[in-house]
Amino acid sequence: MTASSQKPTSDVADDIEQSLYAKREKIYPRQVHGVFAALRTTGVMALLGMYYIIPWLQWDGHQMVLFDLPARKFYILGMVFWPQDFFYLALLLIVAALSLFFFTALAGRLWCGFACPQTVWTEAFLWIERKIEGTRPQQIKLDKAPWTFNKYKIKLTKHFIWIVFSLFTGLTFVGYFSPIQQLAASSINFSLGPWELFWIIFYGFATYGNAGWLREQVCMYMCPYARFQSAMIDSDTLIISYDAARGDTCGPRKKGVDPKEKGLGDCIDCTICVQVCPTGIDIRDGLQYQCIGCAACIDACDDVMDKMDYAKGLIRYTTENMLHGKKEHFLRPRIFVYAVILVAITAGTFYAIFTRMPLALDVIRDRNTLFRETNEGLIENVYILKVMNMDQKQHDYSLSVSGIEGATMYMDRVDIEVEPGEVIEVPVRVQVDPDALVRRSSEVLFNLIATDVDNLYVTEDARFIGPVPSR
Amino acid sequence: MSEIPVTQRIVAILWPSFITAGIATILFFTAFDPDVLFIDYDISRLGAYSIGFFIFWLFGVVTCMATCYFLRPCQSVNKPDELA
Repeated sequence: MTASSQKPTSDVADDIEQSLYAKREKIYPRQVHGVFAALRTTGVMALLGMYYIIPWLQWDGHQMVLFDLPARKFYILGMVFWPQDFFYLALLLIVAALSLFFFTALAGRLWCGFACPQTVWTEAFLWIERKIEGTRPQQIKLDKAPWTFNKYKIKLTKHFIWIVFSLFTGLTFVGYFSPIQQLAASSINFSLGPWELFWIIFYGFATYGNAGWLREQVCMYMCPYARFQSAMIDSDTLIISYDAARGDTCGPRKKGVDPKEKGLGDCIDCTICVQVCPTGIDIRDGLQYQCIGCAACIDACDDVMDKMDYAKGLIRYTTENMLHGKKEHFLRPRIFVYAVILVAITAGTFYAIFTRMPLALDVIRDRNTLFRETNEGLIENVYILKVMNMDQKQHDYSLSVSGIEGATMYMDRVDIEVEPGEVIEVPVRVQVDPDALVRRSSEVLFNLIATDVDNLYVTEDARFIGPVPSR
Repeated sequence: MSEIPVTQRIVAILWPSFITAGIATILFFTAFDPDVLFIDYDISRLGAYSIGFFIFWLFGVVTCMATCYFLRPCQSVNKPDELA
């Protein structure tokens, strides 16, 4: 880059383009069948199914999962969350991080190989690619072939289907934030709002770019987890590994020939484990940060071992200790510590969510006057109370004041009735006998209790300002 | 530097800034409601969130670019051709 900055711009562009293509050779993962491939397909179908179906489900007359950004309300099943509930999101993120630690310590990069959106959408894109361009050898042959009408046709079809699929993915994504039924209706008659349209295209473009073009480069260059996974892995963690003691020396041989006679191990050097690898590595070189733990090489190698009448598991899930002939310790202190913390925080989070008080009270002191003395000689402070009903039903509330002896409260309205999801402002005057005040600033408590249901209340404190006590 | 692929360089600028912009947008608009903040402007909440996100992203991109720029080996400033 440094040298090219002195060249004319067109050359610079050429250089960048050339190095882009020179540095990365396209990986054509060979299709694989087996236990882990079936597991991954199941995972992909389940996760994609959930992603595309959930926004269409309804609950109590509203979308079941809707992060309604314009209204600043977040619907999940029967619950409504507000920006004030940000705390729960933070808790959920902690639970997610702890789960990642736990599963990584137990069995390496399970997340990457089976559940990561990057893997899931790449699998979907690969499936489309295979349907249109054919198998790995056919794809390689096609890419090497000159640009004929037929090649254009195949490539355009592939990209067209990829783009349609990506835009649908983008529409679904925006459907989590803006009611999807209206969104779908307005996208059919071309009346989408500018920002909705923008985000559908933006997310669609990101899907197309990440799953269609970047693929394993996302894992290698963008994923922080790939870089720090080693901190969570130890010698007792299940990893996908090639058994070098059994496999080496690698070399071809005819079926039925005793490899020992030829000085060979069980690895026939067919390189199928390399061909199936979505990140293009050779698992026989040992544990590498590019390995996403998808276990495609296990399936591929087991297949070959079967054909050779050798025992399966030349490449398998194992631990470093087991590879070196030591005893395995799956249940080790690390696992217990992660599990206990994970269970405790998960339980705490759900307890907090389910016992959440769907009522909030904000007290704002009138800043214009510190206090006022009434004709009767009482000290009066004025407050504005914001009552927020975060429940799904309308409620009536009664308000009282405490904390200062003999405090009385006056408000202009008779009852406090708040519609679901609404906020109302209640101006309130509080009067106190000056003899009851021992300091300039005392604590006063506002208690708001629902009158139509049990156990729905909130208490909020505020300052009551008075003159300097004469005592 | 020259052994680092271009994709990785571009990603190193666009990606961390994207993540931090997302977090910054969430935190900022949790604390400030755009309807109150931009009361004088005719802009929808979704529009305000989007513009806010891209402004945060832009800041992040500038920061990441500056970091990458200052990470260049100092000798390359004197002899730019040698590190090509």
